Amino acid sequence: MIYNLPAVLYPMLATATEHAAGEGAAQPAGAPLLPNIITIVSSRMHGSPLGEFLHHFENVIYSLLVAIIISVIAWRASRNPKMIPGRLQNFFEMVVSGLDQFFTGILGEQARKYTPFLGTLFIYIWCLNLFGLIPGMMSPTGGPNGINTTIGLAVCVFFYVQYAGLKKLGVGGYFDHLMGSPRDVISWILVPLNLPIHIIGELAKPLSLSLRLFGNITGEDVLLAAFLGLGVAATAFMNSPIGIPLHLPFMFLALLTGTIQALVFTLLSSVYFSMMIAEHDEHH
Amino acid sequence: MTFQTALSLALPFGLALAAIGSAFGLGKAVAAAMDAMGRQPEAAGKIQTGMIIGCALIEALTIYALVAFFILQGRIQ
Repeated sequence: MIYNLPAVLYPMLATATEHAAGEGAAQPAGAPLLPNIITIVSSRMHGSPLGEFLHHFENVIYSLLVAIIISVIAWRASRNPKMIPGRLQNFFEMVVSGLDQFFTGILGEQARKYTPFLGTLFIYIWCLNLFGLIPGMMSPTGGPNGINTTIGLAVCVFFYVQYAGLKKLGVGGYFDHLMGSPRDVISWILVPLNLPIHIIGELAKPLSLSLRLFGNITGEDVLLAAFLGLGVAATAFMNSPIGIPLHLPFMFLALLTGTIQALVFTLLSSVYFSMMIAEHDEHH
Repeated sequence: MTFQTALSLALPFGLALAAIGSAFGLGKAVAAAMDAMGRQPEAAGKIQTGMIIGCALIEALTIYALVAFFILQGRIQ
């Protein structure tokens, strides 16, 4: 630990990094991370099975918490819809119609059946990204195990895209699409080249989607924790319990990145949908 | 030179190189998009969507370097 932190904060930051370090080489072991409620609770009951369980499943717990919060708010907003909407219903109608217009603008009218999935994805990822800015909470998409959350989301998109392609084009049309839709002799000769390229391209999409979201959110969280540590260390020499909020500008940056990354994830998902179900002369 | 020393020298340099490359790429992409928006303000929405997709694809390469940084950072200790 390079920071000379006061005794209050040091054990928390230290346990957060130690926990990350104890989980194998594939995690950001040296990266500072802000402690959340579960980290603190599980470090209190160190070694007990419940503490280990809580620590290992913190991403799952927080993403379920976000899902429950969104569901409850959405249920309350749509419980008894009125002709003249109240504040909550009005806000939700605005969000839903805005998202619907946005995605039909990319996918076209015929793809309205995918907008519920994509809109849910956007709202969910947006809330997941911004959840880490609440004190005591974490972004399930960031942190040492955040890659599991983002891979889960990206695999959902992958399978739904393949399913939509199979349903729209049929099995023959789907493989025709994967072979680069050969129509003349030269493109039939190029099929052994095109088929692996398309298959690798399909498999690379979830990988790049998940790594992009994970890397951005983790980088942002580590940045916040590092600057918070610096701000605490700045006043540590006079034993002050209060540091300088050096991380405050990066909170606004985090708001921006969280929103943009949620937008990028859903935008790329909808582009993958449009590549799979679009007319053949249109795709890339 | 132990491999920890090599890593702690190479990791920031590698990340910086990736960042420089994607900064040039993003600069070109955003400049062209702004140019197009200035010429055709009525198409700004479509251009912006395309620009964000392109920016995300360019930026992904830096993020891969960042992920590799995080993975390898654990070995320096």
